Amino acid sequence: MKKIFISLMLSLAITIISDLYAQEIKVPLRFDHYYTYEQVVEALKVLNKAYPSLTTLEEVGRSEENRIIYALTINNPKTGDPLSKPGIYADGNIHGNEIQAGEVCLYLANRLLTNYGKLDDITQVVDRNVFYIIPVVNVDGRVHFFNDANTPSTNRGLRIPVDDDRDGLFDEDPPDDLDGDGNITSMRKRDPHGRLKTDPEEPRLMIPVKPGDQGEWINLGQEGFDNDGDGLVNEDAEGYVDGNRNWGYNWAPPYVQNGSGLYPFSGTGIRAIAEWMLKRPNIIMVFAFHNSGGMYLRGPSVKAAGELPAGDIAVYDHLGKNIEKIVPGYKYLISWKDLYATYGDFTDFTNNLIGSYSFVGELYQVGTETFDGTFIEQTDRSLVMAGGSNERERERLKFNDHLAQGELFKEWTPFKHPEYGDIEIGGWVKISTRLPHPFMLQDLVHRNASTVIYTAQNTPDVSLEIYEVTRLEGGLYRIRVRLHNRNAMPSVTYMTVKNKLYPLDIVTVKGSGAKVVSGGKLVSQYPEKIEYKEFKPEVQFCQVPGSGKVEFQFLISGKGSLEVNYESKKAGKRRSEVILK
Amino acid sequence: MRIKESVKQGLTYLSVTLALILLLPGTAYAQQNYSNPAQVNKGIDQISQKSGGLIQVRKLAVSPGGTDILLMEIGKKGDVPNPAVLVVGNLSGISPVTTEAALSLAERIASDPKLCSEISWYVIPMGNPDAYSRYFTAPLYMDPGNFSPYNDDMDDRTDEDGFNDLDGNGIITSMRVKSPDGIWVPVASEPRLMRRADASKGEKGIYKIYTEGIDDDGDGQYNEDGAGGTDVNANFPHLFKYFDPKSGLFPGSATEARELIKYAFDHPEIAMAFSFGQTNFLLVPPKGGRKGSVDFDNITIPEEVGKAMGIDVSRTYTMQEIMEFVQPMLPPGMTIDEGMIASYLGLGAVVNPMQEDLVFYNRISSEYKDYLKSKGVTVERFDPEDAKEGSFEMWAYYHLGVPVFSMDIWALNKPEAEKKESSGITLEAIERMTKDEFAGLGEEKVSAFLKERGAPPQYTAKMVIGLINSGQATPAQMASMMKQMPAPPSDEQKGDPRELAQIAFSDARMEGKGFVNWMPYDHPTLGEVEIGGFAPFSGNTPPYNMVDSLLDLHLPFVFELVKKLPKLQIADAKAIEKGSGVYQIEVWIENKGYLPFPTAMGKRNKIPAPAVITLEGSGIEFLSGIKRTPLHDLAGNKSLKLTWLVKAGRKGTLTISLMSKQAGSDSKQINIGG
Repeated sequence: MKKIFISLMLSLAITIISDLYAQEIKVPLRFDHYYTYEQVVEALKVLNKAYPSLTTLEEVGRSEENRIIYALTINNPKTGDPLSKPGIYADGNIHGNEIQAGEVCLYLANRLLTNYGKLDDITQVVDRNVFYIIPVVNVDGRVHFFNDANTPSTNRGLRIPVDDDRDGLFDEDPPDDLDGDGNITSMRKRDPHGRLKTDPEEPRLMIPVKPGDQGEWINLGQEGFDNDGDGLVNEDAEGYVDGNRNWGYNWAPPYVQNGSGLYPFSGTGIRAIAEWMLKRPNIIMVFAFHNSGGMYLRGPSVKAAGELPAGDIAVYDHLGKNIEKIVPGYKYLISWKDLYATYGDFTDFTNNLIGSYSFVGELYQVGTETFDGTFIEQTDRSLVMAGGSNERERERLKFNDHLAQGELFKEWTPFKHPEYGDIEIGGWVKISTRLPHPFMLQDLVHRNASTVIYTAQNTPDVSLEIYEVTRLEGGLYRIRVRLHNRNAMPSVTYMTVKNKLYPLDIVTVKGSGAKVVSGGKLVSQYPEKIEYKEFKPEVQFCQVPGSGKVEFQFLISGKGSLEVNYESKKAGKRRSEVILK
Repeated sequence: MRIKESVKQGLTYLSVTLALILLLPGTAYAQQNYSNPAQVNKGIDQISQKSGGLIQVRKLAVSPGGTDILLMEIGKKGDVPNPAVLVVGNLSGISPVTTEAALSLAERIASDPKLCSEISWYVIPMGNPDAYSRYFTAPLYMDPGNFSPYNDDMDDRTDEDGFNDLDGNGIITSMRVKSPDGIWVPVASEPRLMRRADASKGEKGIYKIYTEGIDDDGDGQYNEDGAGGTDVNANFPHLFKYFDPKSGLFPGSATEARELIKYAFDHPEIAMAFSFGQTNFLLVPPKGGRKGSVDFDNITIPEEVGKAMGIDVSRTYTMQEIMEFVQPMLPPGMTIDEGMIASYLGLGAVVNPMQEDLVFYNRISSEYKDYLKSKGVTVERFDPEDAKEGSFEMWAYYHLGVPVFSMDIWALNKPEAEKKESSGITLEAIERMTKDEFAGLGEEKVSAFLKERGAPPQYTAKMVIGLINSGQATPAQMASMMKQMPAPPSDEQKGDPRELAQIAFSDARMEGKGFVNWMPYDHPTLGEVEIGGFAPFSGNTPPYNMVDSLLDLHLPFVFELVKKLPKLQIADAKAIEKGSGVYQIEVWIENKGYLPFPTAMGKRNKIPAPAVITLEGSGIEFLSGIKRTPLHDLAGNKSLKLTWLVKAGRKGTLTISLMSKQAGSDSKQINIGG
């Protein structure tokens, strides 16, 4: 008896332990599955634990349902404080259903940390910059997307109750998982007067009836029933407050743009992130990951804002062109023009009020679900908006059958609806359409994390050099100072200069035994022309252009040691000294 | 009828004595009797303690400078709050009398429980304590910014170059310096005042004008980066001005504004907003004329969208047409609404007051003017300020969607209009006159003519007529002499009417303390300057002894205003038997108030919650209509009929309830069945 009991206990223990191992999150992280919110937190913790000197894990703030929003900072303290380096910021999942953005951010952290000290490129990019990574912005959304029944597109918003249908009740009629399969799919009912009939080429699809045809089906819409008895079905789900319309730059109220919230930063997590970022004015590059469509979007977000300054467009074009090669098939586009106008979105905030370059990465192209011998279909976006043609749907279903073994589509199954009677429920499942099947996840995360690393290699790298010291008559010295930036991004964005968001980079010259008599910028070299500053010549302001330089000339009287300091919010601090004899 | 008079008087005497003892500069100019921030908060506590439980005081926020911003909730508490009025005072912090007005209003409400039995009042007397505290600080100057630091001049230091009280008189005025590129000249009739030289009339400027101070940071600019700050009343989300030094980084970046916005949305029972500030919507209704409001009957579809939607962009569409076009494109179950279209097409926000709302604004404005006349106010005053972008007044109207009213309490009176009787005489006519004809004009006409010509005062009509009569000069000679004289002053050259009124008021009612006469001063970098000009607050803050009468005059109208709030009631309800236990239920809902529920702007922005009519009864089955019916809008003094068809199983009562946070509740029971 005892023996049997012990062996039973042992086998139970082994089962439990192996289960635990199956779920155990450890470094290096795996990318063959989607991480729940709890697993994301665990992943950040194990990375932080494994690389204690290179990482800081902190709570940025809390969501409406009081969950913690975490940020992982990757910085090499031996090369300086985080604020003294250009900052690269990456986040994801501001829309609760756009979950693979979280995996991209985790992959970025994992890639940088596990290869630090092993790959020179990684070591250098980490040493020279600081990375701020917030894998999940909408923590409530991610939790509810995983735990509740959803379509690939639902659970997008923040958990702020809104009376969407204006009936005095809040969030009272969400979709309902009638068949309990964890997905919100579609309902249809047999009806000879229906406007749809079965697609002859693919029985899981329906096509509109032509004049003279016999109808077969009515499309009853999204799975659910009329929870509040007002004659509408699923009309008032969570929110609707879209976290990506709630930011404080160019915000517009809900009647102008649905889902903006009642006032800017009414979302607790959104406000917390904004305040956290404003304390890190060194951030010069921002990535916000979303799904889907395969795009890297730059601003402006509304046409009325006018085009960006040419200097900034040049930077974006340079980065965008190369990003299109790192992630083939993805397009570098302009937000308002190629997508639609958005007010109060995250990247308008970062571009204008943080003074950074920003990309929205729309991850995943459903056009890769092919069954024609190619790797990617050319999808026309207008078709995506209008509901898709059956041609693509048929091909996707073949992909579903032969590449996913049926995992992506729920077959039409009979069900007895409380109001409608005999119906069928079926359609694309939650983890589909906007999300790659896990077998394609590894490719997606590596390529998109690589775009972030690539831009990090382009952050401003400014060197300071006193390149000429000449003794003139009458005890005067002429010194020339050069600031040179070897990388594509300027030390201050052109938009920041235009907006006067914050003071430009400052160059100061001082010496205990010396006085700056005059000073100015070399505005032209051939012929030589100097623009003198009338007041306080010992303090000069500038922007160091991408792949460019700025030079100053100072006339100094006196002698002794002279110190030249350069201070930039984004490009850090530099110092040089010279002795005037 | 304000803060316990004896306490205040005691404090006042004490502070005045102390001031004299300490020879505090500024006592001559700042009127110590207005309550400083600490006294305001103490006063709030006192009013609330005396209110017999009617008032609950809450801390709304703490200013960057560390002062509490208190809010008084006046009226009954309960599960279902009454419709409420939100009152804010002095959000820009530069008008002490507006804080006094808000305090006094609260006191008046608390002393008459009838005023808060059916509506509640949420009163914030001191919306911007940091800016307000400057009125009680030396040196005195006016600045609406709170105490959050801001690098105005975008140089290497923050808040390093503020004003300096060079002449030590406790207030900041102006400096005028003679300069070759000066553009200012003194006003001829009142040389203490300055005006721009009119180059088209051959005038050359004499002075440059600076604010009083030195170039603390040596950057060539004067007083360009003082301490602070964000103007709380520029920090609201409607038409917010980005990158303006005074508006803050983004709407709600100032905690004073953010907490007020949050409070307003947390209290959807707020049915009206009232501001004591710089505007006066009772005298001058909110203005339009801004470009940008979209006409929903004439929408232009952007080209990019037209292509994607397959719609012809060369013509305009109504919102209805677009909605009908788009609805079939949507997945089933999804209903289109105006907001979705507006946001997809990027139509933008409303920026001008809605026409229907201006109807009640204009009507109430005439009522207010009649009210003032009935109280003996006959003199016209200068116009109040227009609502500025990013202000509370604008945000409350456009975003909260409730009627907003405001008062500035005091402004200078316009001078009596001069009798502009034309003399009817021209120089050409005089040239041709004989001396008899000239004498025949009469003294009055000649005097008017001389005034028109701007003749120096020694040229009286008598003297001139005498010259002509005695033969010393012919009319023709006189005319040619007058042609040589400088042309009569144009209106601009007479000086700014408001400044003229202000200096006259200072002389007459403030013992001249509203204006400092120009006195020479040796400035470290500008050389010989003169320091002088209007004392801060002399144009917007009345002497304290005027406050009582001003408040007694204006505040009672606020109570007239709230009588106009929309009030929804069930006017009638009946059940009409249709046979076989089927009944048609008819309910008449009435808006007994003058104002619409909600405003046209509230209808457009969909923020005010709908009223909900609920039908409840046991054994009731709905054949047509549903149990909870929302009512989205009802104009003032109008009624609406709602009908249902129900089947009643047995005899009983049907309870019809009407619930609206902003416009009240009601309930009626009718018999049904049997």
